[in-house]
Amino acid sequence: MRFLDLSAGAALLLFAGVAAAVVLLYLLKPSPRRLAISSALIWQRVLKERRRRPERLRWWLSLLLALGIALSVTAALTRPEVAAVSGTASDVVLVIDTSPTMGARRADGRTRLAHALEQAGQIIAGRGAGSRYLVADTMHQTAVTAFESREAALQRLRAIEPATAGMPWFPDVPSADTNGAQDAERRQVWFVTDGVASVVAPEDARTVSVFQVADNVGITAFEVRAVPADARRHEAYVEVTNGSAGVRRVEMRIAGIGAPAVARELELAGGASASVVADVSAFGEGPLRASVRADGDALALDDVAYAYLPGKGRVRVALVTGGNQELARTLRLLPRLDVEVIGPAALRDAIRYDAVVLDRFVPSEPPVVPTLLIGPRSVPWLVRARGELTDTRLASWDGSHPLLSGVSLRDVLIDRAALLAPGTVERAPALVAVARAPGGEPLILATREGRRLALVSFALDASNFPQQASFPAFLSNAIDWLTREPRALAARVGQVSVPVPDGRVLDLDGREISTRTAPGATLFDAGQPGLYTAVTREDRIRVAVNLLDPQITALNASHFAQGAVPLASTQDAPPVGTDPWIVLLVLAALLLALEWWTYNRRVTV
Amino acid sequence: MFSESFLRKLETLTLATRGRAHGQLKGLHRSRRVGSGMVFADFRPYSEGDDIRNIDWGIYLRLDRLILRLFEEEADLPVYLFLDASQSMDAGERASKLDYARRLAGAIAYMALLNHDRVNLAAFADGLREMLPTRRGKNQARQAFAFLEGIAAGGRTSLQAALRRYFSSPRTRGLVVIVSDFLDRDGVEDAFSVLRRFRHDVALLHVMSPEEREPQLPEEVVLVDAEEGTTNEVQITSALLAAYRETFERHARDIEAYCRRYGWAYARAHTDIPVETFLLRILREESLLR
Repeated sequence: MRFLDLSAGAALLLFAGVAAAVVLLYLLKPSPRRLAISSALIWQRVLKERRRRPERLRWWLSLLLALGIALSVTAALTRPEVAAVSGTASDVVLVIDTSPTMGARRADGRTRLAHALEQAGQIIAGRGAGSRYLVADTMHQTAVTAFESREAALQRLRAIEPATAGMPWFPDVPSADTNGAQDAERRQVWFVTDGVASVVAPEDARTVSVFQVADNVGITAFEVRAVPADARRHEAYVEVTNGSAGVRRVEMRIAGIGAPAVARELELAGGASASVVADVSAFGEGPLRASVRADGDALALDDVAYAYLPGKGRVRVALVTGGNQELARTLRLLPRLDVEVIGPAALRDAIRYDAVVLDRFVPSEPPVVPTLLIGPRSVPWLVRARGELTDTRLASWDGSHPLLSGVSLRDVLIDRAALLAPGTVERAPALVAVARAPGGEPLILATREGRRLALVSFALDASNFPQQASFPAFLSNAIDWLTREPRALAARVGQVSVPVPDGRVLDLDGREISTRTAPGATLFDAGQPGLYTAVTREDRIRVAVNLLDPQITALNASHFAQGAVPLASTQDAPPVGTDPWIVLLVLAALLLALEWWTYNRRVTV
Repeated sequence: MFSESFLRKLETLTLATRGRAHGQLKGLHRSRRVGSGMVFADFRPYSEGDDIRNIDWGIYLRLDRLILRLFEEEADLPVYLFLDASQSMDAGERASKLDYARRLAGAIAYMALLNHDRVNLAAFADGLREMLPTRRGKNQARQAFAFLEGIAAGGRTSLQAALRRYFSSPRTRGLVVIVSDFLDRDGVEDAFSVLRRFRHDVALLHVMSPEEREPQLPEEVVLVDAEEGTTNEVQITSALLAAYRETFERHARDIEAYCRRYGWAYARAHTDIPVETFLLRILREESLLR
C-alpha cells in the first residue's frame, strides 16, 4: 500500500494524529447533566435487568465507529494506492510529437495528431488509479513542470495542437517522483509519434506509432527575382515536391496583382521535385501567392507560399559630375530612369529626386536623398581618407549584396583610389565594405543607416570599370538598392524576427498582429504561410513567411515506414480499477450511517 | 400543621385495628381481657375475691350456684408511628415526601391521642434517629406536632435496623404505622419480619412522588442517588422509561402483596393527592380509619 500524496511515514503520523484526536474528543466529551434523585434503587434494578451491553462496551463500540469514520476520511485524503483495488499506479510521462507532419490527414480524415492524442488518452485510461501524468510535446507547446492528475493531463492533451515551425526534440522530463523517492519502476515514458521528425527518444521510452502512408505534394522553394538581362522584368522560381509514393498530377498556380494567375500542370513521380520558372512581370508590385493542388493531399501547410514582387515605376536621378558624359549616358540607358544632370548648387533641391549620383563631388552636408558617391577624395561627414591606393584591383566582393548581385568585378583595374578608413568619423553611419582590394582595403562601401548610401572609392576615369560589361549592371543595382524597397525578407513559419526595433507587423489583410520586442528586432509568431509587413517610422519591410521544407513535405519518410522501430501497445497495462479513496469515502459514509443507526438504537453512546 | 377545620374532621375518626387491643389502660378498643366492660363475654364459677357485683343472681336462684358474668374490657391502643426521615424522603422532587409523610403522621397521631391511645413517635433513617416517648391524650398533640416538625432528612434508609432497635425493648403489642417510601437497599421483608414476630397490627403508608412514578428525564443524564451519592449514566429511552415504571410498580406491588398476605393495611400515599383526601377517603377505604 502506498500513499500518493504523502510518504508512508507522514501518512502513518497523520493516521496516529487523527486517531489520537478522536480518542481525545471522546475522552473530553462533555458529561451529561447530573440529576439528583431520591434513590437510584429502582433505576439500578432496571439497568441491571436491561443492560445487555455494558456501558463500557457501548463506549468502545462508539469510539471504534468514530475512529473508523475519521481514519477512512483521512486515508481517502492521503490517496492511498492499493494494487488489488486500483491496479498499479505509475508516474507516466507522455510525450506527443507535435512536429508539422503530425498535422497530416490520415485516410479517415483525422490528423495524425488527433490519433496521437487519442492514443495518449488510451494510455492514461489504461494506467492504474492513482497514477500521475506528465504531458509534454516535442515542439515545446506545453511546459514540463510536474506530474499531475489524470484530469489535468487530459486537459493538457486537449490543448495540444500541431506546431508549424521549430526544431523538434524530446523534452527533458523528470526522472524522480515529486516526493523525492527515486522509483524507476513506477515511471513509464511513452512517445506517440509518426516517426518523420528526427526525434531521439530515451531508451526506456515506449514508442507508439500513428504513422500511416499519406499522399502529399508541396511547394519546397519559391522566389521572385529580376531577370538579369532586363531589370524591368521579374521571374518566379517555384519548386514543387511530390512527397507521395506514387505519381501525382499537380496544378501549380502563381497569383498576383493586376494580371491573371499563371498556372502550370505538372506530373511528378513519387519523391520527385520539379522546378518551374515563370515570368511574373505582368503582375503589379505586391504579394505573389504560389499554390499547388493535388487530389487527396494530406498536408495543407506546404501547399501555399508567398513572395513580394517589387515595383517597376520610373526613378528620378540627379547626377552631379564634372563632365563625365559616359556616366550620364550609361545612366540614361538604364530602364525606368529619368536622369538629370545638375550643378552642385541644385543639390539644395535634391528632395525632388529619388536618388543622386555624385561624381567626384562631395557636398558639405549629407544629401537628403539616397546617394551614390563615386571617386570622392574624402567625405568629412562620413569617412576620412588615410591616403591613396595605386595600381590596384577589386580582388574580393560580396556577391550576395544587392549592389553586386549578378556583377563580376574580376577584370576591373584601378589606377588610383582613396584609402578610406571607415569608423573614423564620429556619429557617422557604419559603412560596410562590399568590395576590397587585394590588401583588404575597402573600395566599394555601403550603408543602410539613415539614408542609403553607396560609395565607390575610385574615380571612373581612374579605372577601367566603365568599360566592363558589369558596369551598367552595377549602376542598375545601385540605383535599385538606393531607391527600391528592399526585397522581401524570407522567414520560416513559426517565430519570425524582423531586424527593426519596435516595429508594427501587419498581415496581408492589414490586421496588426501581436509582436514582442527583442534587442534590435521585432518578433512575431506566424503560424501559417503569408506575407507580413513590418512598419517602422523610417522603413517598411516585407516578410514572406513560408514553410518550404522538403523534409516536412516528405510525409512518408518515417522510421515506421520501414518497421524498424519496435512499437508498444497502449493496452499493455492492467485495466483501470476503482480509486481506493472513493472506496474509503463510501466506507466512511456507510460507517456514518451505521453510527447514526446504532446511536438512535442506543447501541452506541 | 393542620387547619382547625381539618382537625375537627379528624376528631370524627378513630383508628381501627384488626385484632384485639392489648393496652393496659382503659380505652376505646376491644381487648381480650374480661372485666368491667359493657359487652358480655362469658360465665365462670365465682371464686373468692371476685367482684360480687358481677354474680348472676338469677342463676343462683334457679340453680343455687354462684356464677359470675364476665364482660370484655375496653383497652387503649398502643400506636407506634414510624416516620422515614432518610435523605430519599427529601431529595430532588418538587413536593417533599418528608413534608407529606410528616402531615400524615401528625394526623394519625392526633386521631390516636384524641381516642386516648398511647402514641409513640419515632423518626428513622439508617437507624432510629429520634423518638418521642409515649404520649396519651389530646393535650399531647402539640408536643407530637412539634416533634414531627423538628425532624430533618438525612442518611440512608435501613428500616430493619430501626425496627430491631426499637423493638429490642419490651413493647405492648399495638398498631405499627410506618410512613416511608420503602426505598431500602437492604430490602423490607427482613424489617417486616420483626413486626410479624411481635405480632403487631401493621399499616404501611407508602409515600411516592410523581417524579418517582413518572420520571421526566433528559436524553442523557447522570442519576445521582441522594442517599448513597452513587451515579448511573443513563441513556433515556421510552423503552427504558417503561421498564422503570414497571419495576417501580412491581416494587410497590411486592410490598402491598406482603401486607395482604399477613393482613396488614397498605396504602399508597401519592404526594400529588392532598393529605386530607388521602386520610378521609383512602385510609377509610383501607379500613385503617373508621
